[in-house]
Amino acid sequence: MRFQVVIRYIGLVLLIFAAFMLLSAGIAWWSGPDSSYFPLLLSALLTALLGLFPTIFVERSEQISSKEGYCIVVGSWLVACLVGMFPYLMWGGEFTLINAWFESVSGLTTTGSSILTDIEALPRGLLFWRISSAWVGGIGVVMFALLILPSMGRSKKVLSNVELSAVSHDDYHYRTQRIVQILLFVYVGLTATSTLLLKVAGMNWFDALTHAMSASATCGFGTKNLSIAYFNSPLIEAVLIGTMVIGGIHFGLIYATLIGSQANIWRSEVTRTYFAFLGCGALLIALSLWFTGIYPGFFSSLRHALFQFVALTTTSGFATANTNLWPSFAIILLIFGSIVCACAGSTSGGLKMNRLILAFKMLVARLKRQQHPNAIIRVRMDGVLQEDEVVHTAMIFIVTYFMLMLLGTLINTLFGDDLLTGFSSAVACLGNVGPGFGEVGSMSNFAAQPAVLKFSGTLLMLFGRLEIFGLVQLFFIKWWR
Amino acid sequence: MTGIRKRITIGFFSIVCLLFISGMLSFLELNMLSRDTGEILAANQRNIELSREMLDAAHEQSRAFTRLTLHHEAQYDSLCRAGMNRLEQTLETAKKEAVDKSTLDSLSIVTTELRLLTDRFLARFAEQRAHEQRLAIEAQQRRLLEQIDTLSVILPDSIRQADSVAMVQSGRSLSSAESYLAEQEQHDRIYHRLTSAIQNYMTSAQSSLAPRTEQLRKNAYRAVTPVLISLLVMIAIVLLLYYFMLLYCVNPILRINRALGEWLQFRIPYRPKGEFQDELKEINEKVETMINLSKQTQNNR
Repeated sequence: MRFQVVIRYIGLVLLIFAAFMLLSAGIAWWSGPDSSYFPLLLSALLTALLGLFPTIFVERSEQISSKEGYCIVVGSWLVACLVGMFPYLMWGGEFTLINAWFESVSGLTTTGSSILTDIEALPRGLLFWRISSAWVGGIGVVMFALLILPSMGRSKKVLSNVELSAVSHDDYHYRTQRIVQILLFVYVGLTATSTLLLKVAGMNWFDALTHAMSASATCGFGTKNLSIAYFNSPLIEAVLIGTMVIGGIHFGLIYATLIGSQANIWRSEVTRTYFAFLGCGALLIALSLWFTGIYPGFFSSLRHALFQFVALTTTSGFATANTNLWPSFAIILLIFGSIVCACAGSTSGGLKMNRLILAFKMLVARLKRQQHPNAIIRVRMDGVLQEDEVVHTAMIFIVTYFMLMLLGTLINTLFGDDLLTGFSSAVACLGNVGPGFGEVGSMSNFAAQPAVLKFSGTLLMLFGRLEIFGLVQLFFIKWWR
Repeated sequence: MTGIRKRITIGFFSIVCLLFISGMLSFLELNMLSRDTGEILAANQRNIELSREMLDAAHEQSRAFTRLTLHHEAQYDSLCRAGMNRLEQTLETAKKEAVDKSTLDSLSIVTTELRLLTDRFLARFAEQRAHEQRLAIEAQQRRLLEQIDTLSVILPDSIRQADSVAMVQSGRSLSSAESYLAEQEQHDRIYHRLTSAIQNYMTSAQSSLAPRTEQLRKNAYRAVTPVLISLLVMIAIVLLLYYFMLLYCVNPILRINRALGEWLQFRIPYRPKGEFQDELKEINEKVETMINLSKQTQNNR
């Protein structure tokens, strides 16, 4: 493996980060300048130097191997998380070393969990950096590198295959460069549209932009301590629900729908299941809230149920209500939504709807095979025959995912969390959802958690974002040779 | 970017830049910290000075006021005014310099009350003095006239009249003395509140020293963090430079040297492993050309 090539591409990713830090510093300057101007400017300078340095020595490489691709992607995430801490650490406030690491990882992996007890105390520049890091993380740090590096040639293919969810890139029937363009077109378009709609709905420009970025990245970072409950506006909630739902759909399918292709979201089995799942889940939760009398009427119950279920299923994690006060039935459904999450090929994390459908079809196929031992039964999705390798990989992923969830719960409970808090925080971190239940509920956060749990939470976030295997590979020394 | 010289120059230039940034940051942050510490101490000292000044002024005003009320010594009214003015001026200065102006609110209110009382009292005192002077002049005029006209005849009447004037005057003085005593009591109450307010102002600044020191500690942490991060980045860059210099400068030279040595000693074909770039690539090509030329020359012989 050529480490110098890996270092060079990680350096390029850092340059993109530096650009976003500089943009945040610009916003800090425009807002006063506020107290985050100097930390952001210095962070941008240091990150740019660190990113620029390898490009001085290492020549551009036309081809990179799959191992190098893995290392570039995983290395980029890890280094980006480290570099993302710089502005927080320099600014100070509530950001100790572990808190800065948690906030940085949470933003970049689009988890949206926080350790801040007073978000509104942050200056605008730092708020923007916090959310822009999540926006960059939403589409994948490397995807941005691919956009500005059109000369990379074949290396793009390797990087995009690693960066995209394993079950998603089979659905893209385009060349790699086209995929990158589609992803960015949909992502930027969604953010811009959402910003305009949120402005019309009553937010100011800054809040509209930051919340649109956060919703498009399905992150859940906001600018208010009370999250979306602060605005108490059904119109704003409706816009955000729309953005989050779209953010949870395969971007290739969104693009296909926009250009009028036949393979659109309405024909996709996965997307239809996703819509049905969202609708049914929200309806069931609304009924349970209505029956228990938590909200005055059915529509009020439906409003909160729909927002919370969409927010958790798309792994955004915005909040309009304290879900800890909801009945157990609603909590279980919300946790189920946090585990399954949205579609592959989107910015959301979690198990993904595609794998759930595959698992269900495998179960049906297994039952049929027991009834008819000699029958040849194949699994199909959207009419396409699924290779055994794809199906097995999905199954292994699901098993590993649940094992990690169990391990996370064990660690959390070992260090003093109650079962609900421990389990839901493991689910929230691994699925990049954000809020859990109990002490880490929708109206509280990870501030009170001990440092060791904050660190284990960030590891789960990274595992979730890199779809487990990407990060696991790095731990095998033999693989490096 | 080509050329060993350029690469190494830029590499070292980056490190120098970072060293410069770290140095400047340390200097700036320590300067800021030193300034903050100095500001806290200076503010503290200034607070004590202003409090002392206000207490002195209040005391001066009070002493003059007492002399006026008890002994009616007219020369103290200017002293009373001067004390009041000094108190107000010091208060204005304190207001201008205070970060948290709310600590001076009660002091301002009491000072205003004292100003009103002093003004009212001085006005009354001036009026009273003018009235007494007028009465004294009239009495003197009458006495003189009477003395000139019928000094011997009406002497007993004159004495009676003078007695009655003196009685009237003493009666007026008695009522004025009671009123002055009331003013004095009111003044004492306000003076007591004023000194309490000045003490509060002084102790509030002193008691805020602990949180400000805590803030200073946090500032010190914040001052060190950017320098530490710069140093960490510099360490990373130095390590990268070491790795790249090994990879692109040292190792190729060693490989060329080894391959050349093997060819010279054992006539093993010159094929150094790895890829070369920049001048080392040219050296490698030139060595290959030289070896080929040498081989050709040997073949020709």
